[in-house]
Amino acid sequence: MKPPVTPTPAPRDRPALVVVDGLRTPFCRFNTALADLSAVDLARACGSALLLRQGIDPAVIDEVVFGCVSQPADSANPARVAALRCGVPVQVPAATVQRNCASGLEALFTAHQRLLSGHGEVFLVGGMESMSQVPLLVSAAGRLRFQQLAAARTPWARLAALAAFRPGQLAPVIGLKLGLSDPVSGLNMGETAELLAREFGITRADQDAFALRSHQRAWQHREHHAGEITPVFVTTGAKPSAPVTDDNGIRPDADLESLGKLRPAFDRRGGGSVTPGNSSQITDGAAALLVAGEEAARRHGWPVLARVTGYAVTGCDPARMGLGPVRAIAAACRRTALKPDDADVIEINEAFAAQVLAVCKALADPAAARMAGLDQPLGDIDPARLNQRGGAIALGHPVGATGARLILSAARQLRHTGGRRALVSACVGGGQGVALWLENPAAGRPDPDKSIQDPEPSS
Amino acid sequence: MNPHDTGVVTPDKATSNAARPATAAVDRAPAPSAGDDCHGNGTPAAPPCFRLETAGDGIATLVFDCPDSRANVLHRDNLLELEQHLAALAADTGTRGLILTSAKPSIFIAGADLRRLRDADAAEVDDLIGLGQRVFTLLQRLPFPTVAAIHGACAGGGFELALACRHRIASDHRSTKIGLPETGLGLIPGWGGSTRLPRLIGLAAAVPLVLKGSLLPAPVALRRGLVDQVVAPEHLADQARLLVTSAPRPRRTRLRARCLHLPGIRHLYHRLALRQLRQKTRGHYPAQEKALQVMVQGVGTSMRRSLELERSAFAGLLPLESTRHLTGLFFQREQAKRLTVADGKAAPVERVAVVGAGVMGAGIAYWLAARGLHVLLQDVADDPLAKALHGIRRQFDDAVRRRHLTATEAQRAFDRIAASSRPVPLHRFQAIIEAAPEDMEIKQRLYRELASRSAPGTLWCSNTSALPITQLAAAAPDPSRFVGLHFFNPVHRMPLIEIVPGGESSPDAVATAVGLVQTVGKLPVLARDKPGFLVNRVLMPYLMEAVRLFDQGHTATTIDHAMLDFGMPMGPLRLLDEVGLDVALHVGETLAPAFDHFPPAPLLLREMIDEGLLGRKNGRGFYLHQPASGWMAGLAALALPSRRGQPRPNPAAARLAGGRGDRLPVPADGIAGYLAGLLEEEAARCLREGIADNAGAIDFAMVAGTGYPPFRGGPLARAGLRDQPRTTNQ
Repeated sequence: MKPPVTPTPAPRDRPALVVVDGLRTPFCRFNTALADLSAVDLARACGSALLLRQGIDPAVIDEVVFGCVSQPADSANPARVAALRCGVPVQVPAATVQRNCASGLEALFTAHQRLLSGHGEVFLVGGMESMSQVPLLVSAAGRLRFQQLAAARTPWARLAALAAFRPGQLAPVIGLKLGLSDPVSGLNMGETAELLAREFGITRADQDAFALRSHQRAWQHREHHAGEITPVFVTTGAKPSAPVTDDNGIRPDADLESLGKLRPAFDRRGGGSVTPGNSSQITDGAAALLVAGEEAARRHGWPVLARVTGYAVTGCDPARMGLGPVRAIAAACRRTALKPDDADVIEINEAFAAQVLAVCKALADPAAARMAGLDQPLGDIDPARLNQRGGAIALGHPVGATGARLILSAARQLRHTGGRRALVSACVGGGQGVALWLENPAAGRPDPDKSIQDPEPSS
Repeated sequence: MNPHDTGVVTPDKATSNAARPATAAVDRAPAPSAGDDCHGNGTPAAPPCFRLETAGDGIATLVFDCPDSRANVLHRDNLLELEQHLAALAADTGTRGLILTSAKPSIFIAGADLRRLRDADAAEVDDLIGLGQRVFTLLQRLPFPTVAAIHGACAGGGFELALACRHRIASDHRSTKIGLPETGLGLIPGWGGSTRLPRLIGLAAAVPLVLKGSLLPAPVALRRGLVDQVVAPEHLADQARLLVTSAPRPRRTRLRARCLHLPGIRHLYHRLALRQLRQKTRGHYPAQEKALQVMVQGVGTSMRRSLELERSAFAGLLPLESTRHLTGLFFQREQAKRLTVADGKAAPVERVAVVGAGVMGAGIAYWLAARGLHVLLQDVADDPLAKALHGIRRQFDDAVRRRHLTATEAQRAFDRIAASSRPVPLHRFQAIIEAAPEDMEIKQRLYRELASRSAPGTLWCSNTSALPITQLAAAAPDPSRFVGLHFFNPVHRMPLIEIVPGGESSPDAVATAVGLVQTVGKLPVLARDKPGFLVNRVLMPYLMEAVRLFDQGHTATTIDHAMLDFGMPMGPLRLLDEVGLDVALHVGETLAPAFDHFPPAPLLLREMIDEGLLGRKNGRGFYLHQPASGWMAGLAALALPSRRGQPRPNPAAARLAGGRGDRLPVPADGIAGYLAGLLEEEAARCLREGIADNAGAIDFAMVAGTGYPPFRGGPLARAGLRDQPRTTNQ
């Protein structure tokens, strides 16, 4: 089956979208430093810091678009709430988008499509997720009982309604668990990774080595990460708490031995290989990007961190959702007439080590490519260029925010190294994949200080 | 002779054309023409303040609208005008109901015209009280339902008028504030307020309201029974009309509340309430005691007799010195609220960068954000920011607990504060307030660093309490845009801000600073750029001498109690603990070399600091300040409930004292006079040196900035150095 995409490099007269600047909160394991903050609090923290750092008048923003997977119950349209809380004026609209693990990327796609259709030029986009605050739910049977109780008018009826409860109906349903399961295939995300490990012959040792590399690289480049982080101040405690300034999922002390000791979490019958150590972490965090049409950025005198040159969203088998990047990369490459080897920086989200390794194999090996739905392999992914500064296994995967972090990280890596192009991709729970090409306007001029340098005020 | 000078409009004349405002042709007796109580000395007719509107259904509406004024205030002329309207309505058989309302956007009736009251003589005032009582009694006795439709401030005489109506309905607008603040001016509600309020809501509820003089927002007023209904402003007119037509039974005091009015019981209540009151006021505020007495006696007697009590109490209070001082301070405060700078044009300020996240920086950020400004809190590191934000959050929580803000408002205000330790661009901020450590070099270096990030027109302010503004300004990019803006600690409690123009400050910059202070609801006072400016300079000899007295062997409690009895809200040593001994010493050491007459700061202070006694901040100073939480504190509070929150004298401080100078050259009973004298001396020096514009401003600053006993009017008033406001018996 041939995907219905044709190579259509963006014509010159179409406005290009550029990333002006970005910031994110530290990514912290769930139920740790950021547990008391909602997704909106996190988005507000990085959004307002970004506006402050650029010193722009928020009224120039045409729309705010944020991705969020588990949207807080107290904020219908969390992007709108976050926008207002960032000081964006009321007349600027906001929308929340949801494409599961690619929601943060989807926010940027939305901005691009608004730009193309003439619905605005300047956007604040990003993603937010508080996995600590995914609510506990009441089962359907329990809900019915609660409704009956609420409807009971007389004390007697109330007593009767109370008596009708059965213990099982009061047991909470864990929202996070539901969110990480796919109702179509009946598998949870870890089980889809186990399936790929079996079908593509990815060993436990390969996965652990990949995970170790992620931690090592993330630790080695923590200075680089610090450049994209804005401190978060948690004020909910009774006593002042220290500012949260660093990602807390990176394990500098990890080694193959300690990773090897972990028990498989999803296939416990024996032979399972996906462990908490070689899966992404459950994390709280948010990221924000200021993006604009190239023309608008020039008019405002803003710097350009990276230019968006093309992207694609494709579907795949929900039971093998980890293969999502394969078709998406192929589609994005066709649209831009590029191949993976043209990328100096490659970011494939590390949902699971098994899944990233399966994607690499499917892009390189003809038999594996066919299994993943490609006629031809696209070419090897150079491990040296892949996730050079660590990935979600070390940094964590706040599902709604990750997409925006990948864009920010890839753009900053390009700027840092002077590389020309970056390829960003992620698998999406429910069987989708996304891929995005970025271009560095300052290619060939490495700017190692970008990570610590703050922008000059534009007068 | 002017045909309108009779002062009487016949009822039929007034009602013959109901839509036409009655021409109350009352002369405005020029106050100075002593003893003239009169009608007919030929001045032109006062413009009418009431507009009578009648609808076909027989419901009349009296619209209060003082011409050429922002506010509605009651005075002799418009009371007479009101009387004629009411008399006419009473005589008119077609009228089925009356609604009283105001045409002003945010004021129902602000009260009596205090300016006229101040300038009137005793006989005139007594007449005015009698007139008001007569008119309101007439209103109360109207044979049809009457409703006060309250939107905006309804204070003092305004609320007394509303109390005389059968029903009161209020809008839930923010500007709607209802209460009887007279005791704050040293007076009591004299137009029936002290009589009708206890009868309406019961003695137990009325007494605290009158004694505190609080103005309540509409929902609270409804809960306390001051009004019968609260509706949206847009529905006020319709709902008032509905109230007239439906004419429900007027509200009655709950039986339980009325039990307190029984003889014997109310006298016991009187004694208890008086004792509690005296504990707080130390007997310095006779108006509160009088108000209590009138209310207690009033509920036990007839309406007529109770009104007489009010009238004679009012007459008794008016000539008192304290009343004159309190009223004078009220005018000073109003003046500060409207202070303008000659030739200066204030630029709007919506975004402020506060640089330095210490106690003052955090306090300023909190206040500005709570008052609607966008604030950037800058510091060099994240840790102080985290601490500051945590403190600000607690302050917002506190404001919510005290119902000053709703939880939603608090969250929005907190979100208006952004904090950053990075050098972010500041060109969007119209004002920068520096609250960095008190060190000339640090501040000047800071200014040079900030200069590259800020826009040219920005107003630069320093919150310094001691450093010379002109010298600081020299390091700023534009000294003409630089002023001192001295907030007092704790920012959210202290209403005063000293504005100190530097040598080169432009009138526009000063005007902008004054405007900023006024928008955030603080009171500005202009001070000259001399060390210590105004308040700290006047205070410093007083504080230092208090330390010296302590050193000479007086106990902390003796000294502090002497000043508490004098009327200070806090004794000098306790105040030093609150300020921090190190901070106080720093200010003292800055001021001592600047003025010849300042003695060097007492050695004891240095020794205490060396011993680690810093004051409240570390729990030990002249007193031991218990930590506010923990099970030990809880246990102690259980054991000694009366001592809760009262710090104990610190024996370590007493041990360090002694051995210097004479033993007790000032006797214990002379402490208050001695220390108060120091305040007066220094205030007089400031007056001579022109530190503030006039004596009134100095006194006002001392009251608003240090809590100097308001009933004394201020140190200069006590020293007899103020131009006496015209006394009532001139």
